[in-house]
Amino acid sequence: MEHTIIGNPDRGNVSFTLAAGESVVVEAGSMSFMTTGMEVKPRLIGGLFTAVKRKLLGGESLFLSEYSTATAGAIAIAPAFPGTVLCKELRGAGDALIIAACSFLACGPGVSLTTEYGGGRSWFSGTGPFILRATGTGPVFFNTYGAVVERDVKGSLTVDTGHLVAWEPTLDYRIRGMGSIKKTLFSGEGLVMAFTGSGRIFLQTRQLGGFVRWLAPFCHG
Amino acid sequence: MHVDLSGGGLFARALVHLEPGEKFVSDAGAMIRASSNIDIDVTTGSRGKGGILGGIGRLLTGDTFFLSTYEVTDGRPGDVGLAPTHMGEVREVNVSPDEAWLCAGGSFLGAASTLTLDTRFQGLRGLLGGESLSLLRVSGSGTLLVSALGMLTGMNVDGELIVDTGHVVAFTEGLSYKIDKVGGGWINTWLSGEGFVMRFSGKGQIILQSHTPTRFGQMLGPLLPERQA
Repeated sequence: MEHTIIGNPDRGNVSFTLAAGESVVVEAGSMSFMTTGMEVKPRLIGGLFTAVKRKLLGGESLFLSEYSTATAGAIAIAPAFPGTVLCKELRGAGDALIIAACSFLACGPGVSLTTEYGGGRSWFSGTGPFILRATGTGPVFFNTYGAVVERDVKGSLTVDTGHLVAWEPTLDYRIRGMGSIKKTLFSGEGLVMAFTGSGRIFLQTRQLGGFVRWLAPFCHG
Repeated sequence: MHVDLSGGGLFARALVHLEPGEKFVSDAGAMIRASSNIDIDVTTGSRGKGGILGGIGRLLTGDTFFLSTYEVTDGRPGDVGLAPTHMGEVREVNVSPDEAWLCAGGSFLGAASTLTLDTRFQGLRGLLGGESLSLLRVSGSGTLLVSALGMLTGMNVDGELIVDTGHVVAFTEGLSYKIDKVGGGWINTWLSGEGFVMRFSGKGQIILQSHTPTRFGQMLGPLLPERQA
């Protein structure tokens, strides 16, 4: 499977060329165009029960579609909103990436995805109570709203929860407020994630939720 | 007449240079600026396709009811700056008399008045695609401007190509299409989130957009707060 990312930084999208027997797993509804002879199969991460539970608890059902071809073919996909598309190549044992569920776009068939319930701390993380863990071998594609800030953390870094896109699990984090509870509630920063350890982290310079909240009063006239 | 495209990326715009006697038609509201010798006429149609019926036809294609027509008044060259409402690229298509183009209603930005614009409401066929795709037939000889949500990709089709309905911007009339399921069984099609797709066949050119208003809207909708009474 070969891939080409085009249109970054503001209108990123990706196309895949598949040889006979190859497949790619994409976010449901993300296909823009493709050649004939492609088969599509729905894929649910962790089965139907887990998917329904996720839908009820986290609002993200994460239906995925696996496109495959018995001959050869090509397929192009795009995220729902304009922004940058990123790719990280996973190299087998020990290599993993954690992705905010709404930022996942696609992955190779050798990548396995599990959802994790992040426990109490993730309820407050702004990424929703469920996060995606990608492991295995192959490329993982994810997207951002706004530009990307990519950092190799060595030591610690404090991140606003809404701007978090993905991170390597070699980093640990805890949720904390900025200062006292009063400051946290009134600062608008809300809660932040304090990362420690060593690993790569991907942030987005804008958040869609914030943009919509800013726009909403004007929409309603 | 010639067109300068600038401001690539998500915020493209077009500057249309007009010689005396030339006219250009755009979606009403697309004008950003114009030189002082430009006269703007708002009509419900262009080149004999006007009148109230032409206007209603355009409403059905998802376009505005009115079109603006620009021409110079003083015998000297003039220019008009145009841009679409949404964020994306703009492209110039040179329509030749040999082959007409079909342009998705929401992707039409403007056209030389030498082109004939015909509304062809696709009715049920369009509605089955999930997004009621309706097409404007553009024929004759001249410049057509199309816009995108996101990026524009043009390609030559010789054979078959499957396109999600919302990504179609324009295609030459020589291509035929039918509404189809995405692949595999109907249940798989439904779960894939694609609904119906357009299966193009034949030989011709097609222009696609990377993003669709439908998915973008579906993403933004749940994030909007409840409307206050």
